[in-house]
Amino acid sequence: MRDEGGTAAVTTLVMLPLLLIVLIGTLELGALRVVAHRAAAAADLATIVAVGDQDQNELARTGTLRLAADAAETAREYFALNLSATAHVLALSVDEIAASADVASFPTAPSFDPRTGGRYERPTVRLIASVPVRTPGFGVLFLPAVTTLTIRSASSPR
Amino acid sequence: MKRWGDEDQGMATLETTLMVVILVPLLFAILQFGWLTQRWLAQDGVALQAARYAGELGGDRPELRSYVAEHLRLVGIESSRVVIEVEPAYVTWRQPVRVSLRTEERIAVPFVFSTSVTVRSTAVARGEVGR
Repeated sequence: MRDEGGTAAVTTLVMLPLLLIVLIGTLELGALRVVAHRAAAAADLATIVAVGDQDQNELARTGTLRLAADAAETAREYFALNLSATAHVLALSVDEIAASADVASFPTAPSFDPRTGGRYERPTVRLIASVPVRTPGFGVLFLPAVTTLTIRSASSPR
Repeated sequence: MKRWGDEDQGMATLETTLMVVILVPLLFAILQFGWLTQRWLAQDGVALQAARYAGELGGDRPELRSYVAEHLRLVGIESSRVVIEVEPAYVTWRQPVRVSLRTEERIAVPFVFSTSVTVRSTAVARGEVGR
């Protein structure tokens, strides 16, 4: 019985660090999922805002939807604005992330996207961004202290 | 003279105490973290839709407040506890409009701490009125 009691204490000592490792990993992964969700939402809203503005002259002249000339820049600007809510966990500034994002405007349709291989049946703004997120919890577990998320979004007007 | 049973009982009590003091807070921390995350994401979704709607309406309108209240209710958040901020209150075509939702949530982990956390969601869209 005395031996069994010792075994229980050793088991507790061994299991506790393991439990903490799993806990830290789970919390960090959960936090990363939240940031990924928010970054994806920021990209979605940015592309939606960008396609919401049409070339009014083209619409009046031909009746067809054609994106505004500055659609890509608008998407970039609103991506930075919406990403700023998560700025405190990002490894780069939101302006740097937005500036390095691959934003492409396909003002007329149909069009082909050489980056994704996708074909768009309507005018589209597409955004692909690398978002580096600080993950100190992973750093504690000897994993990368910065995790880079790749966010993709594409929107077309109705 | 001690019996074997007494020692067993002492060890069982010690182990149970350890379990309660360590595992129960751990369990509650995981549950609270998950709940707060779910709450945050749900509120974020509403903020996103609200920003788009604010852009369509041209800013802070009673329809926007009703829309936010209804969507908060749909995701299980009591709207009376949420502070809604729309900046600026009036926007014209192509002006940015920011909608922020803020809630104070109380989280409690037994034996460790109890505190209130501010859950804030913000989204920025663009005014579509007056083109």
